[in-house]
Amino acid sequence: MDMEALILSLKLAIWTLVLILPFGVWVAHHLQSMGKARSWIEAALALPLVLPPTVLGYYLLVGLGGKSILGIPLVFSFTGILIASLIVNLPFAIQPIQRAFEAINPEIREAAQVSGLSQWQIFRLIELPLAWRGITSAAVLTFAHTLGEFGVILMVGGAIPGETKTVSIAIYDKVQSFDTVGAGALSFILLATSLIAIAISYGVFGRHPSRTKEWRS
Amino acid sequence: MFKIKLSQTTPNPLQLSLECVPGELHALVGPSGSGKTTALRTIAGLNNAETGKIECGGEIWFEANEVKGITTSLSPAQRSCGFLFQQYALFPHLSALENVCIPLYNSVADVTERKVQAQRWLNRMGIGDLAIRMPNQLSGGQQQRVALARALARSPKILLLDEPFSAVDAPTRQGLYKTLAELRKDLNIPILLVTHDLREADLLADRITVIDQGVGLQTAPPQVLFERPRNSRVAELVGINNKFEGVFTEGKLTWSGCNQIFNVVDKGKIPPHTPVAWVIPADGISLDATPSKTAIEAKVEHISSLGQIAVIQLRTLAGNHVITWEASAAEVKRLSLEAGNKSYIEIDGGKIHIMPLRPINDPRRFSN
Repeated sequence: MDMEALILSLKLAIWTLVLILPFGVWVAHHLQSMGKARSWIEAALALPLVLPPTVLGYYLLVGLGGKSILGIPLVFSFTGILIASLIVNLPFAIQPIQRAFEAINPEIREAAQVSGLSQWQIFRLIELPLAWRGITSAAVLTFAHTLGEFGVILMVGGAIPGETKTVSIAIYDKVQSFDTVGAGALSFILLATSLIAIAISYGVFGRHPSRTKEWRS
Repeated sequence: MFKIKLSQTTPNPLQLSLECVPGELHALVGPSGSGKTTALRTIAGLNNAETGKIECGGEIWFEANEVKGITTSLSPAQRSCGFLFQQYALFPHLSALENVCIPLYNSVADVTERKVQAQRWLNRMGIGDLAIRMPNQLSGGQQQRVALARALARSPKILLLDEPFSAVDAPTRQGLYKTLAELRKDLNIPILLVTHDLREADLLADRITVIDQGVGLQTAPPQVLFERPRNSRVAELVGINNKFEGVFTEGKLTWSGCNQIFNVVDKGKIPPHTPVAWVIPADGISLDATPSKTAIEAKVEHISSLGQIAVIQLRTLAGNHVITWEASAAEVKRLSLEAGNKSYIEIDGGKIHIMPLRPINDPRRFSN
């Protein structure tokens, strides 16, 4: 079994999660108070959902190749596929959190305001706990989606073992070389990991039904 | 002392001035959409008026004028006010005790002390044993008490109550009335109650401000408001059924549509031959089965029996005016009142209150 690809995929998923979640929470929270620009920003953030991976991959290849915005070529490197992964996962990370913030009754925020809390305290003590369900959803979706991401990663990173060859690409390679046993083992691991991640998120919600029921109303 | 003078044209018009002394319960009464809640939210800092001033306990919370714009506007957190929301707005992820701890977050640093104080407030509301319950495990009345404890935990300078009794059943409401009555004695802060229920305002408030289309029409103690509404719209809003029109000249009121003349006392402010609206409270009307010199002949149109009380609708033969009168079932029997029968109405001129007949868009109706 290609443990190197598996570890690389996990590393990519964890780094993506660590970087995108705080950003997702920040963006989702700020989107609520945005005026006319909101629709455009939402549309831009949702683009990776509808764009073919090859198109997105092409633009990333052009943007990150040669002298990229960071001044160094980023294609065919772990940093390159991490940037690609962050961009591809934007809608998966932001939308569930945004829905969770939107589901909070505005009167709850006002009650916190008249209770003397500052904006930061309202965010930390009231909004963040109430949006927990959406944040967990975002984390699970991002993690599972990163593990399974194929097209964009292949376009930007190629298939360099230990650097850019993730599980999905390894499965493709194995199928191409008729290694069905190896492909099956890796596919099973991806399937099990995704199932466990989703089960964990469902378990988290199931344990506190009383704490989550009302915020959605 | 709490004083406000607010003015705005958008998004909802508001023209309101009122004062409320510590210990006073001041009700803001008006129909739905009249601007009561907007006024309360503006006081709490959740909205801002275009111009005006909000002053509480000598501290200016908000000040704005047409020239300089907003010069002072404290945030809701900086205004020391307790706000009780219509739908409670409890934090659903926190227990009853934790909900009451929130307003103490910045003033009481020690967590244990914060919990002790919060528990004390819950005990005072009679729900000390429900401290660990989550909001969705509490009944409407219990949630309301937690919300009240939370509003008071900050030791606010004013308590704002937004239709606090509208979402609870009648027995729970009675219990909350009692709690509020006890609290106002102990707290000695101004309490502003928004309600559309006149009976509730009559029962609880020291003074009532009637508001309509964002405009404060009259402020008065309940008894005065019901007996002497400032104008015809106030009479309508406070639910005075027997409201008529007439012409007033030097102490004499001529009822429009008939030749009935009443001797009415006024302050001498109304010029001769002025068209006026006039109201008569229920105790200024009596009925008799036999005619007299001053009686007005009428026909019983309809009798609605509501348990021991009956509401009788009569129509005068001269002028075709409809008069509504409430009487006990025994009184109805004594007077042999039946639909279609004739009856004789006596109106006590001394209890008639006359008001200028001004249209709703007349700016003079805002003046004192």
